[in-house]
Amino acid sequence: MINFLKVSFFSLLMVGGFWGFSNFGIPQIKPAPPPVEEKLDLGAMTMDQFIALGGKIYNGKGTCTLCHNAMGRAPMLDKIGTVAPERMKDARYKGTAKSVEEYLHESLVKPSAFVVSGFGKSGTNDTESPMPDVTGGGIGLNEAELAAVIAYLQDSGGAEVTVAIPAMEAPGAEAPAAAEAAPLKTPEEVIAKFTCGACHKIAGQEGALGPDLTKIGKTKNKEYLRQALLDPEAVIAKGFTGGMMPPTYGEQMKAKELEMLVNYLAGLK
Amino acid sequence: MTQKRRIPRLLQMVLIILGVYFSFILLFDVVLGQLIPKSLLTMYMLFVVAGVVMVFTFTEEGAQELVGPIKALVEDPSKKTVRNVVFVIVPLLAGYYTYSSMMPSFEAPMELRTIHPAPPTKFKAYGKSFNLATLENPYRKFQKEDPAKFSELVKAGGDVYIQNCQYCHGDKLDGKGPYASGLNPTPLNFQDVGTIAQLQESFLFWRIATGGPGLPAEAAPWISSMPVWQDFLTEDEIWKVILFLYDYTGRAPRSWAHE
Amino acid sequence: MFMLPAFTPVANASEAAAPAAAAPAAAEAAAPAAAAEAAPAAAAVVYPPAPKLTEADYPTIKGVNARVAVWLVAQLHLWFGAFVVAVPMFVFIIESIGMMTRDERYDNMAYEFIKVSITAYSLTAILGGLLSFSLVLFYPDLFKYLALIFKESMFAYALLFFAESAVLYIYYYGWHWLQGGNKKWVHLTFGLLLNAVGVLLMFLANAWTTFMMSPAAVDAAGVFNGNTWEAIHNFLWNPINIHRVVANVAYGGSIVGAYAAFKFLSARNNEERAHYDWVGYNANFIAIAALLPLPFAGYYLTAEMYAYSQQMGITLMGGVFAWIFIIQAVLIGALFLSANYYLWCGMGRSEGAYRYNPRIKYIAIVLVAAFLVWFTPHTLVLTNSELKSLGGPYHAYLGVFGIMPAKNTAVNFLLTFTFMSFMFYRRANKVATVSWATTGNAAQIALFTVGLINIVILGVYYGYFTNTVYKVAASIPQVLTTLIIIIVSTVIDTFMYKGAKDVAPLHWGRMSTRSQYALFLLAVSFTWLMGLMGYVRSGIRQHWHVSNIFRDASPDAYTPGLGYAANIVSIGTIIFMAMVIFVFWLSTISGKHVVAKGYWKEQA
Repeated sequence: MINFLKVSFFSLLMVGGFWGFSNFGIPQIKPAPPPVEEKLDLGAMTMDQFIALGGKIYNGKGTCTLCHNAMGRAPMLDKIGTVAPERMKDARYKGTAKSVEEYLHESLVKPSAFVVSGFGKSGTNDTESPMPDVTGGGIGLNEAELAAVIAYLQDSGGAEVTVAIPAMEAPGAEAPAAAEAAPLKTPEEVIAKFTCGACHKIAGQEGALGPDLTKIGKTKNKEYLRQALLDPEAVIAKGFTGGMMPPTYGEQMKAKELEMLVNYLAGLK
Repeated sequence: MTQKRRIPRLLQMVLIILGVYFSFILLFDVVLGQLIPKSLLTMYMLFVVAGVVMVFTFTEEGAQELVGPIKALVEDPSKKTVRNVVFVIVPLLAGYYTYSSMMPSFEAPMELRTIHPAPPTKFKAYGKSFNLATLENPYRKFQKEDPAKFSELVKAGGDVYIQNCQYCHGDKLDGKGPYASGLNPTPLNFQDVGTIAQLQESFLFWRIATGGPGLPAEAAPWISSMPVWQDFLTEDEIWKVILFLYDYTGRAPRSWAHE
Repeated sequence: MFMLPAFTPVANASEAAAPAAAAPAAAEAAAPAAAAEAAPAAAAVVYPPAPKLTEADYPTIKGVNARVAVWLVAQLHLWFGAFVVAVPMFVFIIESIGMMTRDERYDNMAYEFIKVSITAYSLTAILGGLLSFSLVLFYPDLFKYLALIFKESMFAYALLFFAESAVLYIYYYGWHWLQGGNKKWVHLTFGLLLNAVGVLLMFLANAWTTFMMSPAAVDAAGVFNGNTWEAIHNFLWNPINIHRVVANVAYGGSIVGAYAAFKFLSARNNEERAHYDWVGYNANFIAIAALLPLPFAGYYLTAEMYAYSQQMGITLMGGVFAWIFIIQAVLIGALFLSANYYLWCGMGRSEGAYRYNPRIKYIAIVLVAAFLVWFTPHTLVLTNSELKSLGGPYHAYLGVFGIMPAKNTAVNFLLTFTFMSFMFYRRANKVATVSWATTGNAAQIALFTVGLINIVILGVYYGYFTNTVYKVAASIPQVLTTLIIIIVSTVIDTFMYKGAKDVAPLHWGRMSTRSQYALFLLAVSFTWLMGLMGYVRSGIRQHWHVSNIFRDASPDAYTPGLGYAANIVSIGTIIFMAMVIFVFWLSTISGKHVVAKGYWKEQA
């Protein structure tokens, strides 16, 4: 027993020695607190964070990459900073923008101000753009989000970022999460939320990337429609290419919403 | 063997320890003219003492001889006077030491500087952000591809240096410029093997472009008089002056690619 | 075309009553089906990015600091894990030695080692379970994210634990059953299997840890690309694997050494003393043998960290953690000095060793000198008057010792001279009888001299007069030189002392009490050191769960200071030592039999 105590005492003494040296033998450096977290409070946001937010909206809520992707449905925007000034000088330009920032803003809210050759709505001879106004309808970006997207496009498109961070409350990156809690009540809301109108002609919107759905109930039954929503690639309508419609609606929509939408679509005759 | 030894082993040990202690002071403070910091000397001596004690005690006889006089001092009735003297002096010494180390002094608190502060992964300068992990000197490639152009760039960097940097960092890059004596801590000595030779060029770019105010908050307080050079120099000029720093000192930036 | 049979009839049958329940089932079923049968390009499962958390996402339990709890449990798990991974390694080796030499003492010692560690296995598993519980409890989102990426390997890990336990139990309980002839070979095979499974388990756990430091197979947002092997085989995986295997052996040796030391101190008779002296000597030998390559494994790991990210490297060596390496230097100094001291004391086991005693002081001088160089910090702590006197924070002479080449040179000296201590010990009691003994000695002296000169030249020339690429590269030939000295010297020695005659009888058990405390110091320093290094390995991620990908948003996201870390490590060490004592105590009571006379009723 005496040995045990001796050994314990010795060990504690050694631990104490190391502890003492670490606490008093060397200078104590207090590590810096972690950098301030990316907040949705725009007032406290740096430009980098604002640009990152724009990127998030561009890839997420804004649904921009549905079309602005490598599949060639819409022009790529990686050089928008350099081509925008040329476009503003183009004879076909109908807008009023004077700077890259204004041009980007304009093309987001009035997409038809300039239509890149070959990307117009079919039959309009490139005078009308298939792109929806991102502030309205299903996408519904607010001014702050719009500014963030413009900042992101300027940053990634090789232009100088000129957008000022708006001094207003946060864009609703959190909002959709809250809205998901309760199922939507009307089919119109479902269509708006999942931005069907960005691609389809439906509920007063004039999307032209996918089939016209205004009279879809005439030719298709509920089973077909349900399948088309859950697994868009199963049957591709004549005249359209596959791989455009997101295959993720089955996971995003609530059962009630899905059935409501199917019933609504089947009723369009 | 042990009979012949004139100096008792305990005294031997004490003399050796004191000898090492004073040789350190003699060597650094007098011979080399660069004093040995007290904090370092304390730790050095701790290990010297440990080593000496180990050598003196690893044999049974050695340990006995060492402990013997101490035991005798405590137990031997004939050493009463010495014992009393020692038992008075030792607590007094301990008390004096405690007193002197606790007594407040007028000296400013010690400063802690880390020679190479940890850089951020990304930093902003010239209105854009730079990623330190991938940032490279755009002119470094000319060292091999076009030596003539490279030496021109180095020369241009030298001009930038003489016009801006040498006032503090010195015309020999040794940190002894005309203004250096007014600064505390003194400007960096680029000739020292522990400075730029340990770093990648991107690190230098960060320090030059953002200066003292760009330093991280850790290990504060930062005291660096380095100006924020992005306000005075162009990006190109900074890269050129970095070329010059390495070229003049004959050092190479830290890199991981083997040639 | 794949309409799901499960859902079509339901939809047909219930027109009015909307099949609310069927739709999610269909949706769920449709997704994997689509993934499986669609074109290969689109086959990949879509993984979510790393979540962005807020403080509210971290559950709290009143009165429990989540980080300290996870920290302590993880560290304790690691200490025990290291111990139980290491013990079978040298038990296997000792058992093989026993088989080769047909010396039963080795077999008994191997059995004793596995016996003292057997309870540690269940403690390891319990602590591991506690660790995953704490993680799920306190860091649910992190655990979920990691589980998403490592689900297969986590499952495999759990299954491997069964294999580990099964093999271990056969190995331990079958020890006396599988004896002699072919049975011994079977037993040895189980030992090998045990090691293989143990190391595999550790490698898997290492992958999760290193993924958090140097994530792979994920993009900048943390979206996993589905390639599990890429995630496992991330940048720092192998460096950590190597470092941990080597360190575990050294650590296991030191713990077993402490066990032997304690048994030695409390031994009641001379046989017991002799036995545990011998066991302690072997444990110390294991610890030293693994300690020799350990600094190189450490440097390799650090170099890889620098290569992975300059920021991580500088944070480690120059930023907040710069001072940790001064503490580390003190601890490693304690390790080397106590290991050497034990060897020197061990020379007292025989009268023949006295002739080597006078040389010990030179070894001590070199060890201390090398150690002082190693200890010298890059940034000196200076008072203002010292600062003024020096004219700046740079010391013209001591600054030279502050950087890596000096330290590499110093550490190679440290290792070479520790090996020399061991050589002295080995030959202390012997006189070579071969005819070429003088030549052999001369060759060894030449080898040491040339090797040391080479180390100095490499360190000084390449360290200070060339650029950094060579500076780092020069450490490799230095290491090779040291290794060559050790290996060649051992080979020469083996042949030279074949059939050597003993000078005087070797008295196992004639060992001072002081030397046993050196073994304790070894174990305590090692435990504390591991705790400290665990803190820094984890700390360099700073405020990230997964470096630069998954942010730690908990209130404890800040990096703790060194003093605080030292408190936690000290507490952890004390808990660990208490548990280890419990484990050792258990191993002693299992052999005790009390005859309780008159307690049991007499059987007719």
